[in-house]
Amino acid sequence: MKKIKSKQYIVMAATFVILALVPIFINNNYYITILNQMVINMLVVFGLNFITGLTGQMNLGTAGIYALGAYTSALLSRNFGISPWLTMIAAVFVGFLIGRGLGYPSLKMRGVYLSLTTLAFSEIVRIFATNLVSITGGTQGVKNIPRFAVGFIQLDSNVKYFYFVLIVTIVLCLLSIKITHSKWGREFRAVKDNVDAIESLGLDIKKIKIRAFTIAAMYGALGGALYAHFNQFITSTSFTTDLSISYVIMLMIGGIGNIFGNIIGAIVITLLPELLRFLGDYYQITYCILVLLCAVFLPNGLISLYGKARHLYEKKSAVKGGE
Amino acid sequence: MWEILIQLIVSGIAMGFIYALVGIEYTLIWNASGVLNFSHDKMITTGAYIFGGTYILGLGMDFIPGIIVSLITVAILGIVIAKVIFIPLRNMTMIYTIMATVMLGKIIVEAIRLIWGPVPFSVPGFLIGTVKIGSTVISIANIAIIITASICVLALQLFLYKTKPGKAMRCVAQSRKAAQLMGIDVTSVMTVSVIISMIICCLIGILVSPLLNITTTMSNMIGLKGFAAGIIGGFGYLPGSILGGLCIGIIENIASMVLPSVYKDIVAFVLLIIFLLIRPKGITGKTR
Amino acid sequence: MGNEEIVLEVKNLIKKFDGLVAVNDLSFKVKKGRIHALIGPNGAGKTTTVNMITGTDPQNEGDILFCGKSILKLPVYSRAKLGIGRTFQNIKLFSSMTVLENLMIGAQCNTNQHILTYLVNLKKAKAEEELLKEKAEVILDFIGMYRYKDEIVSNLAYGRQKMTELGRTLMMDPKLILLDEPAAGLNPSERKTFIDIIWKVFEQDIDIFLIEHNMDVVMNLSHDITVLNFGCKIAEGGSKEIQNNEEVITAYLGEGYRKKMMEKEAGANA
Repeated sequence: MKKIKSKQYIVMAATFVILALVPIFINNNYYITILNQMVINMLVVFGLNFITGLTGQMNLGTAGIYALGAYTSALLSRNFGISPWLTMIAAVFVGFLIGRGLGYPSLKMRGVYLSLTTLAFSEIVRIFATNLVSITGGTQGVKNIPRFAVGFIQLDSNVKYFYFVLIVTIVLCLLSIKITHSKWGREFRAVKDNVDAIESLGLDIKKIKIRAFTIAAMYGALGGALYAHFNQFITSTSFTTDLSISYVIMLMIGGIGNIFGNIIGAIVITLLPELLRFLGDYYQITYCILVLLCAVFLPNGLISLYGKARHLYEKKSAVKGGE
Repeated sequence: MWEILIQLIVSGIAMGFIYALVGIEYTLIWNASGVLNFSHDKMITTGAYIFGGTYILGLGMDFIPGIIVSLITVAILGIVIAKVIFIPLRNMTMIYTIMATVMLGKIIVEAIRLIWGPVPFSVPGFLIGTVKIGSTVISIANIAIIITASICVLALQLFLYKTKPGKAMRCVAQSRKAAQLMGIDVTSVMTVSVIISMIICCLIGILVSPLLNITTTMSNMIGLKGFAAGIIGGFGYLPGSILGGLCIGIIENIASMVLPSVYKDIVAFVLLIIFLLIRPKGITGKTR
Repeated sequence: MGNEEIVLEVKNLIKKFDGLVAVNDLSFKVKKGRIHALIGPNGAGKTTTVNMITGTDPQNEGDILFCGKSILKLPVYSRAKLGIGRTFQNIKLFSSMTVLENLMIGAQCNTNQHILTYLVNLKKAKAEEELLKEKAEVILDFIGMYRYKDEIVSNLAYGRQKMTELGRTLMMDPKLILLDEPAAGLNPSERKTFIDIIWKVFEQDIDIFLIEHNMDVVMNLSHDITVLNFGCKIAEGGSKEIQNNEEVITAYLGEGYRKKMMEKEAGANA
């Protein structure tokens, strides 16, 4: 993973500014909903980045974490009238526990085995969510999840909620950048680069891996909680393996390991279904083929396009200069 | 009470054989190319659709010719998929191979939906009915599964141990590099593995079509439990898949006597996680 | 250097791999202030021994003592924290990071600011990061790699990568460094540079234990030598003794060579 250069910071900031300006020009509630989901997705991918991007481990269980965050916050706030601020913190705490729980298997397994375990975990969550009808409402779901207020501002419209989620995401983006450039970030990258050397430097690799999972799970659970309060309705049918896969796709398409890549990945994959809608019946298969092509030809994600373009430009100007 | 138990055990054995076959088919590809085929459940579905579709569309063939034609079709598909997907993937890192096979699976599902339409159907008259053995009633489908799967496993064992290509496959399974150094064409082995895997998947799809409706999601659970079967038995070890599959099939059925039946699916996943944590080498403790 | 302080002691170490005995009843002592080399032909069991000392491979029998205390029960990272540093035969650097970052991570096992302070950007956290950076720069200067500090390590020449790895190990403030084949893969001039730096490190009161099968390097670099063949110790002593030891010569160069040497000597004496 390359260090984020200052140029990237500027572009990232610009992206957030553009996103902030969108609601001014677009009033359509449908698109505002997509915008909300997009930003929540970004947040989840920032978390996933710690597992797959930095420590290089596989996680196909994001949907399970997202679901548990969503149900925690939804049920506590709707059934017990607890303030969503507190229930969202509870959701993050649940994420913390899951992270520590899931982190433990990640110590014993590598690669493929871990992907299967996280997959199994996600499915178990989904099956329980579908069948513990008295608690989760099963496929009928949990309705009337409350919105809340930030200070005096009641987040009663989707636009207002969007600005709230945008701010949360920007904060978490900054947090991720800070962690990545800190000593923790170096340790995470070391796990991906060369696992064998870490312990010879006195570092306990178990702690590092569990830490990565915990951070990712906390982000994922928060994302789920924010989704629950946005949509005000959640059902177990949303939290499928397909959702876990979507998040990995966002990570991959943007550029694994790079936070700006996470942003781009989330934007592209959230928007792609809308952009391809005109294909009608063929939209799904086109989407899948596009993603497959990206995985094969752009393994470093869309972010690498910038590097390649700049490389070509430098080559061209070098040739010109030589003439 | 006893009758129910025997029925459950028999159908558990039947499903166990299905899981075992799934374990075998993905293990073959894994041993040959190091790629875990996340689209294998969709390949099973394809088998069922081709059979049901070929049968229904294909001029109302009889069952046996229908089966044979399906297997041949799928074998040809296997050659294409091997060359286009698995051989290029063999050297890539895990995250890309996982995502590529996942996307392949999705593309297959979409292709199925576009070709055969989204409406579930079933093949009338295929392996329906029951048979009375003693005082217990056993479905013909289950018997067919047990017999066919046993023949399949035996045939595979003969192939692997008595024929040249089979031995080559076992060499590659032990060590790709060593096999290459000995002059074995590893890419051919991969292609053959994919072909055999596809044939098995098709067979699985055909065998389960009387039990489940033919629809795009019919094999999702079977695929995941097949992963579990391989791991519980011993990842990469073919006889292990059989053991693992039977364990899952029987245990989940017996568990359904105690647990609410909706939670039956969880049994396989819980077993998977337990084994991965405590005994990742599986019951047999052997890999390859 | 009066009384012999023992930095590292290996007692009756045995390692078996599925019936093959890789290391057979090996014992030796590494004394403070004396560079100790473990030599032997390829496959003699040298790397296995180092792996047992660091804890990467568990031993079947025997004991390992560091500064007088047994470290058998400690996991790899705990042994490293005690002060045992190690370089790898095939260099294990963190390929995506810069030279500076590779070094900084070397000292992180001894940092103690909790991550929370980092996130709130407290002065303490910044100070700790600065300290790591400064220390890394000092060591980079010491090993002559300062001007490469912002290079991604995978872009460096092999010799410089090896030097970076040594620098990273130094960041741990080790008491003893285990060098795994320090000369491997280096051309003569790189080798000379590396050996000069090893002497510099030694002069900083850090003990050195190396495994190597390049005889020139060993003879110039070590005070005490233990010779291994097929997992067994066949000789021990200073460089002069080892060079003239018949068994050692046979182990390295074969029975034929020894006979030749004997005939030569006999011919000279006649």
